[in-house]
Amino acid sequence: MNMEQLIIVVAVLPLISALLIQLFSTRIGRGAARLSVAMTTLSFLLSALLLTWALTGHGPQALSLGNSSAIMLFDPLGTLLATIILGISLIVHLYSVRYMAEEAAYGQFFVLLDLMTAALIFMVIAGDLITLVIAWYLVGVLLYFLLGQDTRSQTAYRFAFWTLITYRIGDLPLILAAALLYNAYDTWSLTIIFNEIMANPYAHQFLGLSLTEVVAALIGFAAFARSAQFLMHTWLPYTMDGPTPVSALMHAGIVNAGGFLINRFAPVFVNSGDVLNWIFIVGLVTAIFGSLLMLTQNDIKKALGYSTMGQMGFMIMECGIGAFSLAIYHMFAHGIFKGTMFLSAGGVINSARQDDGIPKDELYTFAVEKQPNKARKPWLLMAAITLVVPLVILVFAHLLIAEDYFQKQGAVILLFFGWVTGAQLIFATYRMRTQNIWRMVGLSVLSLVIVVLGYVFISHAFDLFLYPEPAFRAQLYTAASIDILRFDVLVVITTLIIVSGWVVTYYADQSGYRRRQQGKRLWLNFYALISREFYISDIYTRLTRTLLALSGRLNVWLRWL
Amino acid sequence: MTESMIILLAGIFLPLFPMSMVFNAVLDHIKQPWLRVLLFIAWPLCGVFIVFYSGVVIPDWVLTLALLTSTLYAFRMLSLREVNQWNGFLATSLWSLLWLAAMHDTPEMLLYGYALSMTVPLVLLLILSAGLEQRFGAAYTGLYGGLARTIPRFSGVLVTVIVAAIATPLFPTFFIMFDLVVETISIMPLAAMALLLIWLLWSWAGARLIQGLIVGRASNVKIADIGIPVIGFYSSVLLVLAIAGIYMSRVIL
Repeated sequence: MNMEQLIIVVAVLPLISALLIQLFSTRIGRGAARLSVAMTTLSFLLSALLLTWALTGHGPQALSLGNSSAIMLFDPLGTLLATIILGISLIVHLYSVRYMAEEAAYGQFFVLLDLMTAALIFMVIAGDLITLVIAWYLVGVLLYFLLGQDTRSQTAYRFAFWTLITYRIGDLPLILAAALLYNAYDTWSLTIIFNEIMANPYAHQFLGLSLTEVVAALIGFAAFARSAQFLMHTWLPYTMDGPTPVSALMHAGIVNAGGFLINRFAPVFVNSGDVLNWIFIVGLVTAIFGSLLMLTQNDIKKALGYSTMGQMGFMIMECGIGAFSLAIYHMFAHGIFKGTMFLSAGGVINSARQDDGIPKDELYTFAVEKQPNKARKPWLLMAAITLVVPLVILVFAHLLIAEDYFQKQGAVILLFFGWVTGAQLIFATYRMRTQNIWRMVGLSVLSLVIVVLGYVFISHAFDLFLYPEPAFRAQLYTAASIDILRFDVLVVITTLIIVSGWVVTYYADQSGYRRRQQGKRLWLNFYALISREFYISDIYTRLTRTLLALSGRLNVWLRWL
Repeated sequence: MTESMIILLAGIFLPLFPMSMVFNAVLDHIKQPWLRVLLFIAWPLCGVFIVFYSGVVIPDWVLTLALLTSTLYAFRMLSLREVNQWNGFLATSLWSLLWLAAMHDTPEMLLYGYALSMTVPLVLLLILSAGLEQRFGAAYTGLYGGLARTIPRFSGVLVTVIVAAIATPLFPTFFIMFDLVVETISIMPLAAMALLLIWLLWSWAGARLIQGLIVGRASNVKIADIGIPVIGFYSSVLLVLAIAGIYMSRVIL
C-alpha cells in the first residue's frame, strides 16, 4: 500500500466504527462513544498526515476501491476537506460523549454520526460520479435521522423533513448532471471527464445548448439546495430542534457542501462564464436576505441559522466571481467559528445565568443600549478616514501577493466588500461614547490590518495549494468576468447606494428623522414582511397542504384503488 | 391475440392505469399475510413473463402511460395512512417503471432481477405490517405513534426497510432508477424529469410514513419487541439486498 491509498482507510475507519457499534452496542454500552472517538481520532490523524503529504507536492492520484469500479481521489481539495471534516467531527464526537449521555439511543447516535462522517469523506474524495451521487444522497438521508434523534419530538421531525426534502430536490440536478456527463463521455471517472472538457469544452450539446453550461447550471442548483441559497433556505433556520452537536456539524460542515461541489466541478465552471454570473447573483441575494433576516430575529438560534444562510450566500458569491479557493477558506473559517458558537452556547447561557459578565462600559452603551455619542468630530476628516483607510489597507495587502491582482474583476468585487466592511467598522467606532476616540479608531484600524493581512495571505496559500496552475486560476477569474463597462457602471452605482445609505443614516440620526410619523406605515409594512420572513415558509406550507389535500381527494375519487 | 390485448393484459401485472386498480383491489381483499407475500412476488414476474413470452413490440404511448401511472400512485401515496395500502401503491408505482426498462432492451433475466429486487423490500414491509396488525390490530400511521420508544428494535428495522423501498443507496432500486435516468435523459429528457419527480414523491411519502409510525411518546401499554434472531433475519436480507445493489451497479451502470 502506498501513502496515497491511506485516503481510503481514512474514509473506511468511521464505517468500521459504525458497524462495530451497531453489532456490539448492547455489550459495550457507553463504550460505544469511546470506540467512536478513538476511530475518529485515528482517522483524523491519518488525514492530517495525508494533508501534509499533499502539501509537500504529492498527488493528485486516482485510486480504485478494491475490485469495484469506484474511484477515490487523492488530491488537494479532497485531503484538505477530509481533514477539516474529521477535525470538526472529532470535536463534535468529544462534545457528544457527555452531552448525549442521557439519550436513550446513545449508541445509535454514534452510529449515525460515524456514518455521516464516512459519507462526507466519501463525498469529498469521490473520483467518479456514482460514488459522488451516492455519498451526496446519503448525507441528506443521514442528516434527516440525526436531526430526528429525539423521536418524541414531532417538531424535530417536521423540520428534519424540510431538510430532507430540500436535499432531495438538490440531489435531482446532480443525478441529471451525472447522467448527461456519462452519456456524453462514456465514463464515470471525474478525472477523464474533466480532462476532456478542458481539451474541448464545447464538444457536446444538449437541447441545442452547450452541455458544459447545462451541467454547470445543474451543479449550481444542487449546490444551492445543499447550501441553503435563497428560496431553498427555509430548512436551515428551523432545524434547531435537533441535538446541539448535530447543529454544530450541520452549520460547520454539511451546509458547506455546495461550495465543495462547485470547486470539484471547477473545470466545468471555468468554461461556463454565464452560469458563474448567475451563481454570483444568487449568492448575493442570499447574503443580503440572510443577513437582513439575521438582524431582525429575536430568537438567538434562528438568528444563528440566518447568519449561516448569509455566510453561505457569501461563499457561493465568491465562487461566482471566480474566487473558488477563497470559498473553501471561507467554509473552513466559518465552520470553525460557527461550530464554536453552537458548542459553547450552552456553557455561555449557563454562565450568563450567574453573571452576564458584560462590563457596563462604552461598548455596552453603544452596542446594547444603542446610545451613540452626540459630540462629533469634524465630519470631513472622519469621512476621509472612513473611506480611505480601509481602501489603503486592502490595496496594500493585495499588492503584496500579486501586482496584477486588480486586473481581475472578481478581486475588485472582493476588495469592494472588504472596503465596505472596513469603512462600516470605522464609521461605527467614532459614534461611540469614549474618552479617547483616536485610541478606538487606532484599535479598529489595527484589527482591520490584522484581519486583512491574515485573510489575504491565508487565502493566497489556499489558492496556491488547491489550484497550483496560475493559468487555471486566471482562467477562473476571466470566466466570471463581465463586460468592463457594465462592471464599472455597477461598481459606481453600488458605491453610490452604500455611501448614500451612510449619509442618510448620519443625518437621520442627527435630525431625529426616525421619530417622525412620515413613512411610518411603510416602515411597519416592511417590518411585518421581514418578521414573517418574506412569507416564504408560509407559502411552502400552504403549497404542501394543497398538494396533500389534492392527493387525498384523488384517493377518494379513485376509491383508494 | 392482438398486440393491444397483450399490452392490456400485461398492463394489469406491470401496472398501467386504470388496469393498475386490479392489483390494489386484489390486495385489499386478501387478508392472509403469506398470500399477500405470494401476490407481491408473483405479480410483477407474471408481467415480465407476458411481455417477453409474447414478444410484443411496446408502443410509445405505453411509456407515457407507465410514467403517468407511476406518478399518479406516487402522488397518491402522500395521503395514505394504512401501511398495506401504502405498500400496494408503492408497488404499483415501482412496477409500472419496468415498462421503461423493457423498452430499453434490458435482457430478460435482468428485468426479472429488477422486478424481484424492487419487490423484496416491499415483501419485508408486508411482513412488518403484519407484525403491526398483530400487536395493535391495525397498521395505521398516526394511530399509536411513538414506535421508536415503544418497540425500538422493530422500529429500526421498519425504518431501514422503508428507506430501502424508496430507492435509497445502496439498495437495488436506487441503481435501477439511476440507470433509467441515464438511459432516458438524452433521448427523452421529459421522461427523465418525470422519473426524478416520482423518486422525489417516494421520498416524501416515505418520510411521512416514518414520521406517522415512529415519532411520538412511548405507549404506556407493554408491547413485545422483536428478538435478536428476527433482527438477524431482516439484517441479513437487507445486507444481501445492498450487496445485490452494488453488484447491479457494476452490471447496469
